[in-house]
Amino acid sequence: MMADIWWITLLTVAMAVAATLLILPPGLLLAWALSRGHFRGRVLLETFVSLPLVMPPVATGLLLLVLLAPRGALGPVLAGLGLEIVFTWKAAVIAMAVMGLPLLVRTARAGFEQVDRRYESVAATLGAGPVRVFLNVTLPLALPAVAAGAVLAFARAIGEFGATMMIAGSIPGSTRTLAVAIYSFAETGRDREALQLVGVSAALAFAALWLSNWITTRAAGRA
Amino acid sequence: MIRLDFSLRQGTFLLDVKEELVSGITALFGPSGAGKTTILDAIAGLRRPSRGTIAIGDHVLFRSSDRIGEGSPEGRDHKARSIDLRPHQRHVGYVPQDVALFPHMNVRRNVLFGRREGQRLSLETVVTMLEVGDLLERRVSDLSGGERQRVALARALMSAPELLLLDEPLAAVDVERRRRILPYVLRVRDDLGIPVIYVSHDRGEVDQLADRVIVIEAGRVLQT
Amino acid sequence: MRAAFGLILALWIPTQDVQQPIVVSAAISLTDALQEIGKKYESSGGAPVRFNFAASNVLARQVANGAPADIFISADEVQMKYAESAGAIDVSTRRTLLTNRLAVVTPLGKGKAIAGGQDLLDPAVKRIAIGDPAAVPAGAYAKQYLQRQGLWDRLQPKFVALASVRAALAAAESGAADAAVVYESDAAASSKVRLAYVVSGDPQLNIVYPAAITSRSKNRDAALKFLSYLQGREARPTFERFRFGVVVPDQ
Repeated sequence: MMADIWWITLLTVAMAVAATLLILPPGLLLAWALSRGHFRGRVLLETFVSLPLVMPPVATGLLLLVLLAPRGALGPVLAGLGLEIVFTWKAAVIAMAVMGLPLLVRTARAGFEQVDRRYESVAATLGAGPVRVFLNVTLPLALPAVAAGAVLAFARAIGEFGATMMIAGSIPGSTRTLAVAIYSFAETGRDREALQLVGVSAALAFAALWLSNWITTRAAGRA
Repeated sequence: MIRLDFSLRQGTFLLDVKEELVSGITALFGPSGAGKTTILDAIAGLRRPSRGTIAIGDHVLFRSSDRIGEGSPEGRDHKARSIDLRPHQRHVGYVPQDVALFPHMNVRRNVLFGRREGQRLSLETVVTMLEVGDLLERRVSDLSGGERQRVALARALMSAPELLLLDEPLAAVDVERRRRILPYVLRVRDDLGIPVIYVSHDRGEVDQLADRVIVIEAGRVLQT
Repeated sequence: MRAAFGLILALWIPTQDVQQPIVVSAAISLTDALQEIGKKYESSGGAPVRFNFAASNVLARQVANGAPADIFISADEVQMKYAESAGAIDVSTRRTLLTNRLAVVTPLGKGKAIAGGQDLLDPAVKRIAIGDPAAVPAGAYAKQYLQRQGLWDRLQPKFVALASVRAALAAAESGAADAAVVYESDAAASSKVRLAYVVSGDPQLNIVYPAAITSRSKNRDAALKFLSYLQGREARPTFERFRFGVVVPDQ
């Protein structure tokens, strides 16, 4: 049983890390666009990105299923590429990524908005184009918020259940993540094991939040 | 020669400028709210005028499309398109009021930020001229007001600007300390020959520094 | 000559014989029983079996969208019908795998003995936990049973409708409810409740676990073999131990 818990934890953490890394580039891009851009459809984009936050995870999972399953909208495309997603670890990572994205975007966006535009203006007059300004000025100055957002997304990924269950299933050894396993054990009367896993996920969440706090306070001390 | 001929409307505030500047130090003098910073922002490309032309020599930074047919040489070409260079394309150095040194970089990285490939100004020259050599490894937060001004000036110069804009550096600091930047600005003119537009509300500063003074009030040029 | 032939055969056949795992999507209440049977199957030379345990409605939707499961075992007819109408199962392979019965359980220790439905009317029984009839099959069955007994309306104020039958069981285990209506298999799996009585003798109360091969299965033969195994003599003792009713296939 100990080995089981280890394996489930390792699997979940690895997938959560993968999901967080996956959403960093598009997430930061979205956060930056929403914080600086004045384009038509901005509110629409904002709402769209926030959807996974307010929809029930199972509903999001259902949407993903309808999109990614072999009979789904993208089914033929994926099959053509030889990609099997549903019922594999890839599906779990995607579910985690989708649920974590809004958290990353919101937090990072707040960080970008807080960066004094004067720094960006001066950087531009010094010859830095928009990309350089973002990478060398905006992003470093917003780093605490970005890091906090990433950690938040990571914590959300660890706890992700509804959507994961829907598109990744609950396959012991490959897609039965921490949260899914807790549900599984609780539903089959294995309360002791369920509680052990609850302990593990609480410890992980604690560590993640502590890290997020540490990053924020350290940055505040520096400024 | 620097040609400024533009209007900028912002709500009820209308800025109207028509000046031609030659090399040297031009002071923009006037009370706060007169629009001095707005003029600098427009030249740097941070604000867009409603109409007009901004050019440094042959290098047109901004031209609105309704300039056609006004009797100027470009006017003959009815299809002259509008131009609005982005700030990073303008080669205009800017030291804003709050100096805005990048807090996440040390002095050296700040100064070298705008450095372009193969420009003629070396770090050594600029550093010597502004006497910031022993500040290079320091953190921005450790610098005094005057040191920050000089570092910001060095940073602007390292980007090889065709024009330098200085906006009341450290307006809040006492007169004595503020005037210590003046010799360095003079060096920019004398050693490097880069034209400077210097914004100030301090008459004494202006007299010491300027080859030419433009007085602004409520968006309009009163006298030169 | 024979040796050469044998060698060719030996090299060729293994590629046909590499055992692809069979993916079985099954209702979560079957977890323990099926995992045990699956292990037994593999160790006796059968293909490896990978299980996906979830709520039947989730499984049905996965299968309907083409998820790569070979066998679908549902905890009720409704979800199997859903999958069928989506064209996701091979109807010719559909069969009833198991049956279950309702049971009434009470917390250990305290309380008066309950021997039948009428005893639930006793004022000492203040709260009765059931699965939500609108959402959970077990709840729907409970309602059906009690309505037939003419007890449903009178017991209304006592019901606590919960999100799953497992939650109803937990309510009885913890003493939060004085009685709970669950499956016989749930009652058997828990050592923290007392089995008051099993609901039997009502032919209309048909709690079944239908099973079928999915129409998209790429592993049909192996899946059929396993499905037959589940209905066979080797699997029976395990199912009976977990208190599921075994359906003997008419051959």
